[in-house]
Amino acid sequence: MTELRLEGVSKRYGTGRDDGAAALQDVDLTVRDGEFFTLVGPSGCGKTTTLRTIAGFEAPSKGVVSFDGESMIGVAPERRDVGVVFQSYGLFPHMTVAENVGYGLQFREPPDGTGVDERVDELLELVDLEGMGGRNPDQLSGGQQQRVALARALAPEPDLLLLDEPMSALDARLRESLRRQLKRIQSTLEITTVYVTHDQDEALALSDRLAVMNDGEIEQIATPRTIYHEPETRFVAEFVGDNNVFDGTVRARDAERTRVDVAGTTFDLPPGVGFDGSAQEQERERISFCVRPADLSRAVDQNRFAVNLETSEFRGESVRAYGQWNDVPIVLQLGEVLESEKDATVTVGFAPEDAHVLNGG
Amino acid sequence: MSRSRPGRIASGAGRIRAWLERNAIRLTALVTAGILAVMLYLPVGVVFVEAVVDEGVPTLGHFAAVLTDPFYFGVLADVFADPLAVGTHLGSLAGWLAAVSISLSLEYPIPGIDVPVPWLAVDTPGVRQGLFGFTAYQAALSTLASVALGLPAAYILANYEFYGRRTLRSLTILPFVLPGIMVAVGFYAMFGRAGTLNGILGVAGLGPFAFIETSPLTIVILAHAFYNAPLVARLTVAAWESVDTRTVETARSLGASERRAFRDIVVPQLAPAVLTGALLTFIFTFMTFPIVLALGGLQLATVEVWIYDRIQRLDYAEAATLAILETILSLGLTYAYLRYESVQSGFSQAPSPPPKEALFPDLRTALSPRRLAICGYGLVALVLFVGPMASLVVGSFTDGTGFTLRNYAFLLERQLEGASFQTLPLPAIRNSLLFGVATLAVAVPMGVVISVLTARTGRSGTIIDTLAMLPLAVSGIVFGIGLLQGLVFGISLPGGWRLQITGAVAIVIAHAVAAYPFVTRNVSPLLSNLDPAMVESARALGASRFRALVDVELPLVANGIVAGAAFAFAISIGEFSSTVILASGSESYTMPVAVERYLGRRSGPAIAMGTLLLLVTAASFVVIDRVGGRYEL
Amino acid sequence: MRRRTFLGAVSGGATLGLAGCLTQDGDDDENGNGNGSGNGNGSGSEETDDNTLTVVTYESMIDGENPAGPWLKEAFEDEHPDAEIEWEQLPSQGINQYIDSASQDRDIEPDVYLGLNIDDLVRVDDNLEDGGLFRELDRDQIERSDRVRDGLDMGDPHDRVLPYDTGYISLVYDESEIDEPETFDDLTASEYEDALLAQNAQTSDPGQAFLLWTIDAFGEDGYLDYWEELAENGVRTLEDWTESYYGAYMEAERPMVVSYSTDQVFASAEGNDLTRHQIAFPNDQGYANPEGMAIFEDASNVGLAYDFFDFVLSNEPQAEIAQRNVQFPAVEDEYVDLDDDFDQYAHVPPEAVTVGYDDLRGNLDEWVDDWAQQMAGH
Repeated sequence: MTELRLEGVSKRYGTGRDDGAAALQDVDLTVRDGEFFTLVGPSGCGKTTTLRTIAGFEAPSKGVVSFDGESMIGVAPERRDVGVVFQSYGLFPHMTVAENVGYGLQFREPPDGTGVDERVDELLELVDLEGMGGRNPDQLSGGQQQRVALARALAPEPDLLLLDEPMSALDARLRESLRRQLKRIQSTLEITTVYVTHDQDEALALSDRLAVMNDGEIEQIATPRTIYHEPETRFVAEFVGDNNVFDGTVRARDAERTRVDVAGTTFDLPPGVGFDGSAQEQERERISFCVRPADLSRAVDQNRFAVNLETSEFRGESVRAYGQWNDVPIVLQLGEVLESEKDATVTVGFAPEDAHVLNGG
Repeated sequence: MSRSRPGRIASGAGRIRAWLERNAIRLTALVTAGILAVMLYLPVGVVFVEAVVDEGVPTLGHFAAVLTDPFYFGVLADVFADPLAVGTHLGSLAGWLAAVSISLSLEYPIPGIDVPVPWLAVDTPGVRQGLFGFTAYQAALSTLASVALGLPAAYILANYEFYGRRTLRSLTILPFVLPGIMVAVGFYAMFGRAGTLNGILGVAGLGPFAFIETSPLTIVILAHAFYNAPLVARLTVAAWESVDTRTVETARSLGASERRAFRDIVVPQLAPAVLTGALLTFIFTFMTFPIVLALGGLQLATVEVWIYDRIQRLDYAEAATLAILETILSLGLTYAYLRYESVQSGFSQAPSPPPKEALFPDLRTALSPRRLAICGYGLVALVLFVGPMASLVVGSFTDGTGFTLRNYAFLLERQLEGASFQTLPLPAIRNSLLFGVATLAVAVPMGVVISVLTARTGRSGTIIDTLAMLPLAVSGIVFGIGLLQGLVFGISLPGGWRLQITGAVAIVIAHAVAAYPFVTRNVSPLLSNLDPAMVESARALGASRFRALVDVELPLVANGIVAGAAFAFAISIGEFSSTVILASGSESYTMPVAVERYLGRRSGPAIAMGTLLLLVTAASFVVIDRVGGRYEL
Repeated sequence: MRRRTFLGAVSGGATLGLAGCLTQDGDDDENGNGNGSGNGNGSGSEETDDNTLTVVTYESMIDGENPAGPWLKEAFEDEHPDAEIEWEQLPSQGINQYIDSASQDRDIEPDVYLGLNIDDLVRVDDNLEDGGLFRELDRDQIERSDRVRDGLDMGDPHDRVLPYDTGYISLVYDESEIDEPETFDDLTASEYEDALLAQNAQTSDPGQAFLLWTIDAFGEDGYLDYWEELAENGVRTLEDWTESYYGAYMEAERPMVVSYSTDQVFASAEGNDLTRHQIAFPNDQGYANPEGMAIFEDASNVGLAYDFFDFVLSNEPQAEIAQRNVQFPAVEDEYVDLDDDFDQYAHVPPEAVTVGYDDLRGNLDEWVDDWAQQMAGH
């Protein structure tokens, strides 16, 4: 299969574009053979531009896209052997489902001497659409259309599968089942896959690794677990899952702890944080760190502070509560919120090792 | 590595084919650019340069002279003469506004009929419009009339089923091919004091009415509508049939009334087509020439009349100056419109056109107000569109003694016994049809490739698209004289070479240059409404850009291509001014040229030839429609 | 399939478009206007082919109904068995095309121009050097040139043109609706309000002739005032003769039109009642529009051209031209025999007027433009 690599890829648009395509700045990433890799970020962050650059629909202004070490610069999309599924599916309305799925097979022969019809049936079976080949796309539901698009992209056995927000037009329940189906197919075929989404839950659920993008740049590339627990930047911390971010000043350091002052309250963080030896003394004094809601607990007696609760949402296994502490918005995950605690204060604390220091304030 | 997997392409010939396929769009674009350079920019440039170069020295003097001449620009000439004297200009504007008065009175607007109508009269002190002002004024009125008369036709053709609907729809192209002189003669024969309409009214004891004498301007505007309302109708019908009715049904299910759903859902989907029609109508009628003079006389002269006159007097500098100003105005409007069109996004899937209702399912329905209104419109259309053409046909069979076949006997005799230096009817018909088909074959790829290159490319695409509309925005007289000076006479090239283009090939390409904008304007909106993901999917699946175009986009915009092709064919059949120049001295004359050449002191032979022109065109479109079957023309 | 036809059309168009359009100076300069026209056998017009006379002329001389051109060719070739007449359609730009050609030093193919008016000559001299484009005639070589009637002299100081026929512009009116107007001033009287149809002098020959007639009658300083009165009395100036006559007049829009004094010849042939085909000569005048023939400066076959001119002025051709083209002969009555019908229906004005070369020279464009601006008056 295929390893995908982007090195120093930048994309600038001249004036006169009005389709809102985002520019890219020095994007470096490697997608390993067979990996499910996700690009996640808010709209306009450049994730779709990155995907289109990989597919060959956009030419980078600078940098290299390579498949298995072979540069793809100047190679037309149709000669890259990629399968693409779009947000709007892009099904051909004047062709039947089978003709859609078989379309790519006239340019790339089906594998191992399989006949075209046979291969089409095989793919329709893979996406649970047996017997639908004769229908027209507009006779199918949204979820079915999405699966036709997937089958069509997979039919010529592409080296790389690219999916651009393929589920965003579907309702939540359908998304979850399609998500599982997609994951199953991907791991069966072991196909290198790049998935673009703005939905961080989807990104965390599906990916082997993911890249969080913001404003044309990659903020962090890591496994879902690392991204969630060890966000490198404030943007990642806030974008992926709920988080509480504190900005403070380093007051003191010793072998056991780092003392940080936030809005007049002093918190203890693990020793050595925010110190990399190279930075100037002044810069070292300012520091940002985050603490996940689940790590803020009434039961912890370190680093305690009182939160003014404003609203809460019942989430079944827990309650999510939103409030303020010294103008810092705070999200809590509580086992239960008592009636008496509503519109009142709750005092919580966190263990120093649960605080995660962010780069770049 | 499947990338190196051998595809189906192996042989040498196959490789050439693959190369051609990969580069087909680029090659077509290149050929298009070449054709435009030689057959449009060169001839037009040869004349336009006269406006800005005086004996080898660049000058803006001609523009200054024209812009500050009150004859051309009326009150605006003062503004152009002294643009900085804002205070003075505002003062005269205020003085003018102060003199406006509005009064209510009873008037008798219908000649000969004693029906008083409350009349709101706005009495404005005269403003000198100048030639440009009047030209724009009558073009604006003509555009309003064409839209008003074209939309009901589009509504009926798109929403009702009745016997002969497809044929009728095909025949709406007919006014397009009629030479101006035939339209003028047809209008006099229909609306003249001794014309067909007065003849019919006379049976009922009414009239005769002096329709033309009462208001020549109205007749000129109606004659413009005769040409352009079918254009508006054709464009709108095509859009109407591409409306996604599911969106209407969605709106209805959300509680919108029928009227509301129409306004909110259908109207926005029709607006680009209607506005395209209005834009083209304005540009055409702004550059109108024979019709205004033939029906209205010199009092209604337009800019184009003066361009003609200056060309006749070999004053190319002033002619070119006037023509450039016309072109700037037309292209400015086109650009404004195309900006609007490009922001009308929204991707349509396959169209699901509204089902057609039977027009007269039963007697009760036939008497409903809507059906009666349709009948009323039908009557108007019969008088305005069928009337002049039918009167023309009747005229070809009559002389002072009544029924006669001598005009057709003339055509037959000329065909059988005509000398080689004379114009024969059959070669004219054959040439017209051949050129029409060849024009189609050249104009469709040109138009489509321009659509493909400009769709969804933002502002720069809009600019290219605007420039691509140049053939419609250039004075026909200037284009003709440019062809003569640039191509027929030839252009000197280094090395003693001379580039000369005349005869059949030149005619076809000149027709294609005039016709491809219609293809582009029909195809572009449909193309930019297609989901780009379809083409990109096809390409990712291994299709070249060209294959994606052929497999995916073209089938989905086939309606637009067929509509554009129909226009292209009709433009070619009806084209006169450049054909007559390029056909001079050769046997490449067409039907309209034959009409002109048969025109003598007796108009009969020319009218008979004009009737043949109508019949041949009608037959072609009906046949194409029957054979083409799937697409409506 | 579809793709292949598409490519075929495009590449085919490209090769055809380039073929035969590039010529190198010197190898074939005869393509001056148009590609091989294939007229007759002698289309190659080789240098040795000096018995072919190429004559350019307007459409109705050769292409209308029953035109004189084909008859002239046949009769002349009968008389001169070695010679051949080759007709050429007048290009749509008319005389301007040859003025442009001459000023850009391009070769002019035809030998003879048949159908030249005085104002064509004026335009030639206004744009080229005096006495340009055509050669001065050697009258000694045209025996019958003295048969031409007095008063048809076009006044060319360089004697380049010989008239072969003339028409008279007159008024045609419906006697059941109005009385015959006696004078130009009558036309501005209330009796003739909204009665007259004329043509635009910018775009129409009879229109220009009628304008010149009023300039002859009222002078350079008076004609605009006269037209102001005509306009106030409701004159309409339409594009050209066909629209005004076959369009407006014959559909009874108005009772009077500027037309030709031969009107009844057509009307009677058409079987029309002559009440609507009465001829009026205001001020007892008609405006003469003589048509002439001239030899291009670079004509290759001057001798044959003189033979042709002499032939055109002989009896039978004069009668044929007059009757087929419905014009008046250019020669004195004694040198031509016309059918009685023609004599009966073709009316000659008591006095023929025309504005001559000297007056037109340098003035014509301005007269027409002043008039047109006044009439348009937006």
